[in-house]
Amino acid sequence: MNTVTPRRWAHTYPWLGEEPLPTAPYTSPAFYQAEVEHVFKKVWLCLGRVEELPTPGSYKLKRLDFASTSVLAIHGRDGVIRAFHNTCSHRGNSVVVAEGDWDQCGRKQAFTCRFHAWSYSDRGELLGVLEPQGMPACFDKTQHGLTPIACATWEGFVFINLAAEPRVSLADFLGDMGHHFAAYPYHELTQNFTYHTVLNCNWKVGVDAFAEAYHVTTIHAGSFPGTFSTGLQMVKLLGDHRTTAVCFDPPRESPPVAKLAQSKARGSLVNQVAGSSLPPTLNDEQRNDYAFELSVFFPHWLLHVAEGIWFTHQFWPLGHDRCLWEGKYYVKPPRTHSERWAQEHAIVLQRNAWLEDTATMEGTHYALASGAKPYMQLHDEEVLVRHGHHVLNQYLPASQAR
Amino acid sequence: MALLPADFAALETWAQDWALPTQNQRWDKRLASSSAALDAFYQALLPWLEAILAHADQFELGALPAPSARLFDLALMHAEVAPHVELYKSSPKVPHSFEERRFIGVHGNTRH
Repeated sequence: MNTVTPRRWAHTYPWLGEEPLPTAPYTSPAFYQAEVEHVFKKVWLCLGRVEELPTPGSYKLKRLDFASTSVLAIHGRDGVIRAFHNTCSHRGNSVVVAEGDWDQCGRKQAFTCRFHAWSYSDRGELLGVLEPQGMPACFDKTQHGLTPIACATWEGFVFINLAAEPRVSLADFLGDMGHHFAAYPYHELTQNFTYHTVLNCNWKVGVDAFAEAYHVTTIHAGSFPGTFSTGLQMVKLLGDHRTTAVCFDPPRESPPVAKLAQSKARGSLVNQVAGSSLPPTLNDEQRNDYAFELSVFFPHWLLHVAEGIWFTHQFWPLGHDRCLWEGKYYVKPPRTHSERWAQEHAIVLQRNAWLEDTATMEGTHYALASGAKPYMQLHDEEVLVRHGHHVLNQYLPASQAR
Repeated sequence: MALLPADFAALETWAQDWALPTQNQRWDKRLASSSAALDAFYQALLPWLEAILAHADQFELGALPAPSARLFDLALMHAEVAPHVELYKSSPKVPHSFEERRFIGVHGNTRH
């Protein structure tokens, strides 16, 4: 439904301007290099959830190709989660060997490099080297632990920062955004469905495609017909981050299986339910058509929350024209088979909607790369996209900013 | 030999090919099926769906005997198929979608 008021976000946030945006930031290898150096290697990035490292000794290994490293996050016996470069102090081999090309979670007593059996503790300390009598007399084990990466948690989300000395703490980086999304029961909604794929597009093509609802009547005519409104509500630009409410169109009768699934478990965004798990910071206008919160945590992580459902998108850069997309959907663990069945119906529908979203991304990048359009023209309801570019430019040196 | 619990004998013809225990198998089956086959499966199971769920709910989650597990797999297959019949005019593919099988489901090979 068209719920658009003329240029209301331009009036609300006049400092963002209304100019067209340059397209070179999506297609320029030099711009991408600047993003890596000044953004991705400098800011806090969400690495995962504490539930992925549930007990002392458990770890998560994640490749960060933009930084040519792998992060090894370890749950220490003291309860603290720390992160390290997965690089042995001896001759630089990978300490934990990746078994696939995606994330790896597991549990170990000690972290022992296969090459020459140098081993590390859950705190990253070098425990022992093979045949230590062969090392130089001045070799001091205590100086050769794994190289740490700054690591902090917020609401059960584990963040890392690749800067040797992060400019701000995680709490300061999140600022009001951290407050806005606090106190939601992420830790209770742990039934997870994750999809990922490599997309041949710039990471911002992906982030931007999910950062507006202007596309819902076209792209989601299949999976979410007449469900959500294109107009955003309660847009909040919070520091480097941004969030908005997406609202329902007037309810329609659901088809039979969808209706049965909705009666069995809360699993799909499509239906309005009464509830109170949303913190009071969300839907502060108390709209009765509130559907879910859509947000972008700078630079590349989107967190969406709704009653009984939360989900994230993350676009990890792999180059100026490639990225790794991860979509993660969370609901309450099912108690019965019928709840499990209803969740299957919900996640299948959501996956299909994500297949609709991702359908545009590679085509968008290919067409932008033609150079035919030096500028893109934004609609007022794409205010989050505009804010994303505004913040990004603030991180880049003047020579790169567009 | 019967593959499904006796009360659901009417669905036996579907049990061999459509009772698939993982989301990846169900996804592949839907993509490889004709619109007519998806319609036929949807219509055949629809009147039984509530009875299937009630039957499965007599057992603890994850503790279904083999015939009941097959029956539950049919219901999960129906969840995979339902949006195609109810929303996509019985198209076997999600219309206007990304190349479906380039999505990797981390849970894709988990049973049920």
